[in-house]
Amino acid sequence: MADIDRRKFMKLGAAASVACPVLLNAMELDLGGQDFHQIRTFHPRRRKPYLCTLCPYFDGGFTYAEDGEIKKTEGNPDHIATRGKFCAKGMASFFSATDPDRILAPLKRVGARGSGQWQEISWDEAIAEVAGRVRDALTDVDSIYLNEGGFKDGGTVRFMDTIGSKSVIRSRLPSIGTAPKQAVLEQVLGFKTVLPDFEHTKYVLNFGANIMETALPLAQRLTDGIVNNRLKLVTFDVRMSNTAGRSDEWFPVFPGSDGIIALAMANIIMQKGLADPDFIDTWTNYSSEQLAVDLEKFTPEQAEKASGVPAKTIRKIALEFARSKQATVVSQNGISWHRNGIDTEMACLLLAVITGNIDTAGGCCLPRQFNVATPQPVPAPTGSTSKRLNPVFPFEVKDGLHRVQVFFNHMSNPAYSSPAASYWREVLKDPELIPYFVDFSPFMSETAELADIILPDVVDVERHDVGSSPTALWPWVSMSYPEIEPRGMAQDVRMTLKKIVEAIDPDGSRGMRQYWAFSDTRQSVKQAVDATPGMSKRSYKKMRSRGTWPQYGKIDPATRQIINNGEPVEAEYHTYNPAGFPTPSGKIEIQTLAWSANPAHGDLKPNEFVLTTFKVACQSLSLTSNLKYLSELWHSNPLWINRGVARKSGIGDGDLVRVTSEVGHMVTRAWLTEGIHPQTIGISTSVGRTAYGRVALADPHAHASFARKEQEDPDIDHNLWWRDGGVSANDIIPIFIDPETGAQVWNDTVVTVSPAESGDSYGDISVDNTMHFAIYKKLYGGNAA
Amino acid sequence: MRERQRSYGLQTPGTRGVPGMKRYGMVIDLRKCIGCMSCVVACKAEFGVPMGVWRTWVKVADKGTYPNTKRIFMPRMCNHCDYPVCVRNCPTQATYKHKDGFVLQRYNRCIGCRTCMVACPYNARHLIPAKRTDKNLPKLVVDKCTLCIHRVKKGLVPACVQACVGGARIFGDMNDPNSEVAQLATRETLTVLKPELGTSPSVSYIGGDWEIMDESHSYLNRTTQLREEFNTYKRNHEGDAFGDIVEGESTMRQVSRNFGGFLRSIPHKAKEVFDAYVNLYLR
Amino acid sequence: MNESVIISNVFHHVAWGTTISVYFWLVGASAGAYVIASLGWVFGVERYKQLALPATGMAIILLMLVPVLLVWDLGQPLRFIYLMLPSYWHATGPMSWGSVLIMIYPITMMFYGYSVIKENKRWAKMIGGLCVFLAVAVELYTGVVMEFNPGRSLNHTALAPLLFLTGAFISGVAVLVLWVWIRNMIVSAISRAEKRVDWSLMEELAQYMMYGLIFDAFLLFLEFMQSVYGNQDEVMAHEEVLLGVFRFSYLWLEIVIGLLIPIIILVSPLKRTRFGIVIACIMVGAGVYGMRIWWVMGGQYLQTFY
Ligand SMILES: Nc1nc2c(c(=O)[nH]1)N[C@H]1C(S)=C(S)[C@@H](COP(=O)(O)OP(=O)(O)OC[C@H]3O[C@@H](n4cnc5c(=O)[nH]c(N)nc54)[C@H](O)[C@@H]3O)O[C@H]1N2
Ligand SMILES: Nc1nc2c(c(=O)[nH]1)N[C@H]1C(S)=C(S)[C@@H](COP(=O)(O)OP(=O)(O)OC[C@H]3O[C@@H](n4cnc5c(=O)[nH]c(N)nc54)[C@H](O)[C@@H]3O)O[C@H]1N2
Ligand code: SF4
Ligand code: SF4
Ligand code: SF4
Ligand code: SF4
Ligand code: SF4
Ligand SMILES: [Mo]
Repeated sequence: MADIDRRKFMKLGAAASVACPVLLNAMELDLGGQDFHQIRTFHPRRRKPYLCTLCPYFDGGFTYAEDGEIKKTEGNPDHIATRGKFCAKGMASFFSATDPDRILAPLKRVGARGSGQWQEISWDEAIAEVAGRVRDALTDVDSIYLNEGGFKDGGTVRFMDTIGSKSVIRSRLPSIGTAPKQAVLEQVLGFKTVLPDFEHTKYVLNFGANIMETALPLAQRLTDGIVNNRLKLVTFDVRMSNTAGRSDEWFPVFPGSDGIIALAMANIIMQKGLADPDFIDTWTNYSSEQLAVDLEKFTPEQAEKASGVPAKTIRKIALEFARSKQATVVSQNGISWHRNGIDTEMACLLLAVITGNIDTAGGCCLPRQFNVATPQPVPAPTGSTSKRLNPVFPFEVKDGLHRVQVFFNHMSNPAYSSPAASYWREVLKDPELIPYFVDFSPFMSETAELADIILPDVVDVERHDVGSSPTALWPWVSMSYPEIEPRGMAQDVRMTLKKIVEAIDPDGSRGMRQYWAFSDTRQSVKQAVDATPGMSKRSYKKMRSRGTWPQYGKIDPATRQIINNGEPVEAEYHTYNPAGFPTPSGKIEIQTLAWSANPAHGDLKPNEFVLTTFKVACQSLSLTSNLKYLSELWHSNPLWINRGVARKSGIGDGDLVRVTSEVGHMVTRAWLTEGIHPQTIGISTSVGRTAYGRVALADPHAHASFARKEQEDPDIDHNLWWRDGGVSANDIIPIFIDPETGAQVWNDTVVTVSPAESGDSYGDISVDNTMHFAIYKKLYGGNAA
Repeated sequence: MRERQRSYGLQTPGTRGVPGMKRYGMVIDLRKCIGCMSCVVACKAEFGVPMGVWRTWVKVADKGTYPNTKRIFMPRMCNHCDYPVCVRNCPTQATYKHKDGFVLQRYNRCIGCRTCMVACPYNARHLIPAKRTDKNLPKLVVDKCTLCIHRVKKGLVPACVQACVGGARIFGDMNDPNSEVAQLATRETLTVLKPELGTSPSVSYIGGDWEIMDESHSYLNRTTQLREEFNTYKRNHEGDAFGDIVEGESTMRQVSRNFGGFLRSIPHKAKEVFDAYVNLYLR
Repeated sequence: MNESVIISNVFHHVAWGTTISVYFWLVGASAGAYVIASLGWVFGVERYKQLALPATGMAIILLMLVPVLLVWDLGQPLRFIYLMLPSYWHATGPMSWGSVLIMIYPITMMFYGYSVIKENKRWAKMIGGLCVFLAVAVELYTGVVMEFNPGRSLNHTALAPLLFLTGAFISGVAVLVLWVWIRNMIVSAISRAEKRVDWSLMEELAQYMMYGLIFDAFLLFLEFMQSVYGNQDEVMAHEEVLLGVFRFSYLWLEIVIGLLIPIIILVSPLKRTRFGIVIACIMVGAGVYGMRIWWVMGGQYLQTFY
């Protein structure tokens, strides 16, 4: 399948490379691709390709440098997916290089773990020490653990394969979408993700995806569709996210009830004969008659009871959706992260399947992506790339199910971002459980704070890398080619690992060195490109100058279409025809049609709520919180609570409240809003930091001991004006792991909300870690591994 | 419609509808704005705008009652008025109207008296704080959106337009009937901020919501959070104007805080004076 | 509730703050006091001649503080000189006029003082006359510089210069009376009682001040009517800003302490006591400062949320 795609797109790519210049309206200005100093405009800034890896969309863009410093990042206007647009995070990412609180030398802990005392050491010392530890542990190689959070392999997984350790755990999956969603899509369609074709659609049904804040390359197509095609956007969400607030219709649903709505809609569509029986009969494992029969038991009335959305409305939306023909369904964490998440994902996908909107213009398209190789030769995979997700890990360690000798952490911040974060901290602090802890983080994250040694990685704008993501109807690869040398002593993690490998295997006798034969990252990237089928030295060169490959054409500033030979580049649809889907049967394999009420929230008492946490446009988990322009825009996270409900419980706007879960409570401020379901409360993630630096802590005086003078930014020391850094909810969120996928079920925590008690102050968090452990024991009885 | 042809004092008159003249401006299509804040960050990055001041920003409002609610985003910036009050009132001609429609700032003339800030009905101007990242860029003078003239003159769209994810910001010459902005102006209903003032803004909106566009409304209907945060802002950000009123504080404390700020400004202003002196006479 | 709530916005500082309001007050008091100083020599009211020097002196001293405040309030203090350079001068900017006035007014006053000392009647009359004109102009200017901002409903009123002029007069008298009171005590203490200013003059001035207060109250009433019957911004500016955040300076300081109580004192028998007059003058001085506060900051305050 992937091969067919590639052949098709290669053809286009070749055509595009001889494209003649497009005739533009003479009055139009360029959409980008250059940058100038605001005063010294006659010295254009130096441009280098850049790949934003702050979120899994991997947008391709450029960095612009002046006087040896990156002054700006922006999208690449000829990039087929981003069309020149970076989101706020991408635009601000260049700051990470000059972040005053950045770690610029290997740091060795001097005091007790977490005491914040560090000593700078040389790379030689650092490598010798880490390599020594790894060498000692090689006899029991699986006792070397890696917690990986990168969206792609930055070399750490390769390292684990090199030494032969299977012990890789992950805080996120290396592709777009959560584990339950990926699991369903893989079973049903044979792909990990689908791409809603917003550009050509007339109708969008959105279940729990916050596209306008979390999926920016898609959002720009959504707005085009809203104005150009007058598409209708219908959103089901428990709260008014930006996407819900900009939708034509937003339906606040009871948490976890989307599945029954989707099934009821599917039922109506089948009954009214608005489905596409040919498609169902030809391309699915079901016959349309059978499907209609199996769906009959899901009635809108039942859906109304579970979700609160009137049956009449469900009927109306179902009919509108089916009659639109060009219609798409999109879903994300909002429905995945429930105990019934898999069933819900299945139900929502079904709506696209029965209406035949699979890989059609304006439907749910199959992903188009290049799989970029890694430098040759590749160590034999140990199977470590499996999707073992990390939430349960600290409990298992405590439970004696893992014997850890060395613990590596890369691009992940479980001490903040994972559920039961307080438990993570407890385990990471304990030298009995984690005898040696190495972090590669360039920033002093909540996790890095607890490390024994920190080997500072470079940041995005200093990294040479290639990447691809299925974010457009055409596949693409983009490159990051740094203009600047890494600051201070920062070193690309691949080079650090290479040196560790060389220290473990100095003469190559262990057979490890061969996999790390590149002399620098440049060579490693070249080798990777060379090894990728369909790519060549030329594509490498093209990417170095133009940032992205293949070149499909030039963007028309007015219509935002990519133009080649005067014509907009058209996407190919129905790519599954004739070869079929990459499932065992070659067809869409509809699994169970089921929905059950979420057992976690049977009968909520009046002051009980389902806690939902969510992402916001200006932050990307831990990756952005020390970037001043982003934190200036989003730094606090008051508790969203329905105004009517709050009034009844005597909670006023801005009042301090206690949010209590099974394991403990936190004290935060209430924000009374009309935009949330009365039985839900919402707390945004990404803020409420206890580490990272001045910006993240909202304290201009919190200078780190390792902060360097040359990195100082007077702007931060003098102009940082906010003092409320928010409160994170992850300490009070107990684990609940989806048994099928190992993913944390984030949106099911039941909490109570009450006015703060005397003595409570803003930001207090009090958690009983033994309760966290008890919950783990109750769920898994100690046999989770 | 008869167009006014007047200028304020020594400045270029407005060029709205004047044949052969350019009038660069922006149409902001609020149907497409998704509140991603890319424009805000892009503008800040382009000019190294310090924290606490903005050349452009996005106002956000929630409308309606559960469950019938909507969220509205409204980007704001200098309107590059055809009849700019800021230009008229500036005592040193530091701010002026460019013949192509830009209202610009000459940093080396600006004395930082902030008359233009008082004059601008749209709050589009700010005094650059004494400390900023790039010490070679101007400080303690008034600044504002330049409509990115440094890019436009090089054939590029403004930085915020470049960055606009939703494609909501559309830039061009309003006087050129072929331009997208001019075509939008005829095809769609455009609204401007405070039209009654006769400033004739060059930035207009499609799908503007009167409530969020209204000054009094903004004042009356802000959330408790916003008010509290504004108070923190006033307490912590060095404004160099010594007049911020923190709501809920007693007048005595206000006055003492303001004078305290005045006194605290002495060292950094003295440094500025000293630097200027060194630049002028000793270099 | 079907209205929208603003949930996020950026913040703005008040552009002109306390420093400017103090400056407005100083300029007003100076101009008001000077007008009294001119009564004797310029308008030929003989019994006021003894006031000419003390009043001029005080007016000059008050005005000397002004450049310090104004220049330091600039973002670029050294560049105050640009306000005087012809190539920078901008004819339409009210501040251009103001800076010229503020430059020549104290200088002219000094010449006037000199002619008074030299008892040169002709020159004293001429320069003094010019100076009266300048005093009025400086005062009108402070009103005008705020008035010419059409976006600020509180300030954009044709009454502004008149309000300022009246305020200047009453605060000038008040400060002058207080000044004379203190000066008299000092000269008594150093036993040069013959240099004392006749206190009956002060009683007379206090009566003038009362007429000024009444006129000021009348102007305020007009303003009040306009805002109550005004457009949304005006109504709001009055209800939410003046009676809200600026309630102390507007309602209590200006109206109650600065107008009502002094008027009551000055119509009651207290008006013949030194105590009554001094108290009334302190109150009037404070009241006028109250007005300067809300006048300068109120209009801007509203907009900092926009
Ligand atoms: N700005 C930004 N973008 C990002 C990221 C980021 O950190 N910041 N992270 C990236 C990553 S790693 C991921 S996984 C994606 C996630 O992208 P999304 O899934 O779009 O984002 P979330 O905020 O996790 O959740 C989406 C919505 O689910 C809603 N929700 C909660 N419970 C329910 C429910 O029962 N039913 C329904 N219908 N909705 C519900 C929440 O209110 C929330 O608005 O975003 C990616 N993009
Ligand atoms: N309450 C709540 N919690 C959530 C979510 C939620 O919606 N609500 N979302 C969840 C989701 S979807 C995800 S994907 C996870 C993400 O959680 P994690 O995978 O743990 O990712 P981050 O928290 O972003 O931490 C990334 C770490 O990488 C470090 N880092 C940054 N740049 C570099 C670099 O260039 N090199 C190296 N070596 N390190 C770097 C940063 O310092 C940071 O500590 O969080 C989850 N947590
Ligand atoms: S959407 Fe993601 S990849 Fe694209 S610019 Fe934003 S953070 Fe970077
Ligand atoms: S918006 Fe304000 S700053 Fe901009 S031109 Fe108009 S009056 Fe001047
Ligand atoms: S601050 Fe500068 S631009 Fe503004 S009025 Fe004063 S001199 Fe003119
Ligand atoms: S036009 Fe330029 S200066 Fe103005 S808001 Fe946009 S980016 Fe900022
Ligand atoms: S970049 Fe565009 S879509 Fe995003 S907030 Fe700004 S104007 Fe709106
Ligand atoms: Mo994620």
